[in-house]
Amino acid sequence: MNQTEILAKMQTVFDDVFLDDIKVTPELSANDVEEWDSLLQISLVLGVEKAFNVRFRVGEVEATKNLGEFADLIQRRMAEGVKA
Amino acid sequence: MSTETAVQPQTAKTGLESVRELLAERSPEIWPALRTATRGAADFPEVLALATMRKKAQRAGIPGGADKTIRLAMVGGSSLYPLHELVQQMIGAESSTGWWETELWKGDYDNYISEVLDPESELYSFKPDVIFLIPSSQRCVYQGSMTDPQDLQRAEATKTADDLLSLCRTAHERTGAEIVVANFLPAAEFDPGSFRVRTLGSNWSFRKLVNLELGLAAPAYVHICDAEFLATRWGTANCYDPRAWFETKQLYSSDFSVDIAREVAGIVASLHRSSKKVLALDLDNTLWGGVIGDDGMAGIEIGGTHPRGEAFKQFQLAIASMAQRGVILAVCSKNDYKNAAEPFEKHPEMILRLKDIASFQANWEPKSENLRKIAQELNLGLDSIVFVDDNPAEIEIVKQFVPEIETIWLGPDPAEYAAQLLNCRFFEPRSITADDLNRGEQYQQQAARTQAMSSGTDMESYLESLEMRSILSEFTEVDIPRISQLINKSNQFNVTTRRRSEAEVEALISDRDHYGFSVRLADKFGDNGLISVVIVKAEDKTAIIDTWLMSCRVLKRQMEDEVVNEIVRLATARGCTKVVGHYLPTEKNGMVRDLFPRMGFALTEETPERASYQLTTEDFVPRKTHIQIDRRAYESN
Repeated sequence: MNQTEILAKMQTVFDDVFLDDIKVTPELSANDVEEWDSLLQISLVLGVEKAFNVRFRVGEVEATKNLGEFADLIQRRMAEGVKA
Repeated sequence: MSTETAVQPQTAKTGLESVRELLAERSPEIWPALRTATRGAADFPEVLALATMRKKAQRAGIPGGADKTIRLAMVGGSSLYPLHELVQQMIGAESSTGWWETELWKGDYDNYISEVLDPESELYSFKPDVIFLIPSSQRCVYQGSMTDPQDLQRAEATKTADDLLSLCRTAHERTGAEIVVANFLPAAEFDPGSFRVRTLGSNWSFRKLVNLELGLAAPAYVHICDAEFLATRWGTANCYDPRAWFETKQLYSSDFSVDIAREVAGIVASLHRSSKKVLALDLDNTLWGGVIGDDGMAGIEIGGTHPRGEAFKQFQLAIASMAQRGVILAVCSKNDYKNAAEPFEKHPEMILRLKDIASFQANWEPKSENLRKIAQELNLGLDSIVFVDDNPAEIEIVKQFVPEIETIWLGPDPAEYAAQLLNCRFFEPRSITADDLNRGEQYQQQAARTQAMSSGTDMESYLESLEMRSILSEFTEVDIPRISQLINKSNQFNVTTRRRSEAEVEALISDRDHYGFSVRLADKFGDNGLISVVIVKAEDKTAIIDTWLMSCRVLKRQMEDEVVNEIVRLATARGCTKVVGHYLPTEKNGMVRDLFPRMGFALTEETPERASYQLTTEDFVPRKTHIQIDRRAYESN
């Protein structure tokens, strides 16, 4: 999966988590979306882990600056074949 | 079988998809779809997606939602987000006609003690109906050493539980709210090894003890959300998620949160509606295997004749255990009444009897009509009935024509019936008063069992305490399958190992030269069923034991002593003066090598193939046992 494909799949997770319609782009970050607070972030990460069947390590999602970096992290974890 | 198991996950998936479609169409049908999908949802992302769709439906103003509002406050020693989303969603789905809204107030992370103690706290201005309290596990650790005196450790556990209950009391007194408390998760780490159970100071023992103290001392307004049980059932190691704790102070792993939320919602719902009262049962292939109208009394499968028969018997035992607790039993079956009632009256292996059935509807009317009749006869609402059937078509019809009635479809495998019933969750007594009636009786039984166990060190008093009762019966049609099974299967306690077909056994019933009897043994802990078979051939004044066998599960119960008493009694009644027994050794029946001498027979002849023994009836003194004989062979009741 490349970054574009990962972002496309992330869109379905966003649709299940956010009330507003959010368009997923590589540059998008929590600062751009009013609804996206630290609490919603929890649901988002859990949804992504389930959707991609990956498991992140402590603190590493927080360290990504935007969805592009988040997608790269997903890609790395998928490549490792780390199962949730 | 494969079709049904395959259908389950698919419906769950289409549940979520159909909610999505109904949302796009802005259809009021979204509410029942949301309820079904939420109740069946398996994991965290699924419940969360459903919650998001529910909020979108509410925002779009799709009609048909809110039919009740519950004011719920959540406080705890961990972050309550996103658990509260799950709880809200699960409570909503408890509605039977619309959606239960939750007005929610959430306390701050690990602030619950001050929130409860401070009379000025927002918790109290919120005026909750229900408070859900999730205490901090860190406060449930024994601070001393694992080698401290047990009294000290126990006192500390009691104090931890008392502190929590006093917090509940304060919150209840200030609000009148019902309090739901999650008890503590069991420890899941191996350390300190099996030493954990040799002390009350390990996390494992200490938390278990605190949870016990909590449950035993909880007043009626406190409802335990039994996290310990739920975690144990699921696998405790799966209930923790250290990363979620470090990052966002989640106490439970995300998928376990779903279990907790569902449990809390169930408790909240139980406060708003009464529990079920009546279990309405189908008969054929539900209470027994086969069709009574076609297969007859001797053909149905019930009891210890067959693995399937045992499964049906276990199901009846599960039903009986619920009846003992106050659940009312009814029969709803497509059958002629006479056929349907016969096993309840006459089949020796049936657990349930006519007296146990409060309303018996066996006829050819639709089941929906018969369920209405049951409700009328018992003077109860339709919504107090749970209907049980093995036939999915009957379940569908009832769902369609009497939607007020909850149903349990038993599925294709009788092995699962008892578990299905015991996991249905319709008949859980929540309030103390509901259980009060039977509590005395339960206490007595438990006390008696404990006594039996503890006096078990001395064999005589153990046997006495078992309260054994036995029925000795001439061979009957109904018993033939079980008798034949024992004759062809028993190897160990079997003096001659003579096999006979069912037809041959049946022929013995009218054979004047032979007489035989079967033995049933029950004790206070349960019925062992038909466990022993004897066949005797009368030749002039000599009674020759042709077959004597017994199931090994009732060894050392003095049953063989009673069997000898009966053999001699019947021999005497037939004018025999001698009883002869032969032991034919096989590779497997060594355990009865000395049976005859042990029972007072004298050896008359011994070869490698055969040992012969003899007893004179005149000299026989009946052997004393602790078994009460309720009926003897060839004597009518």
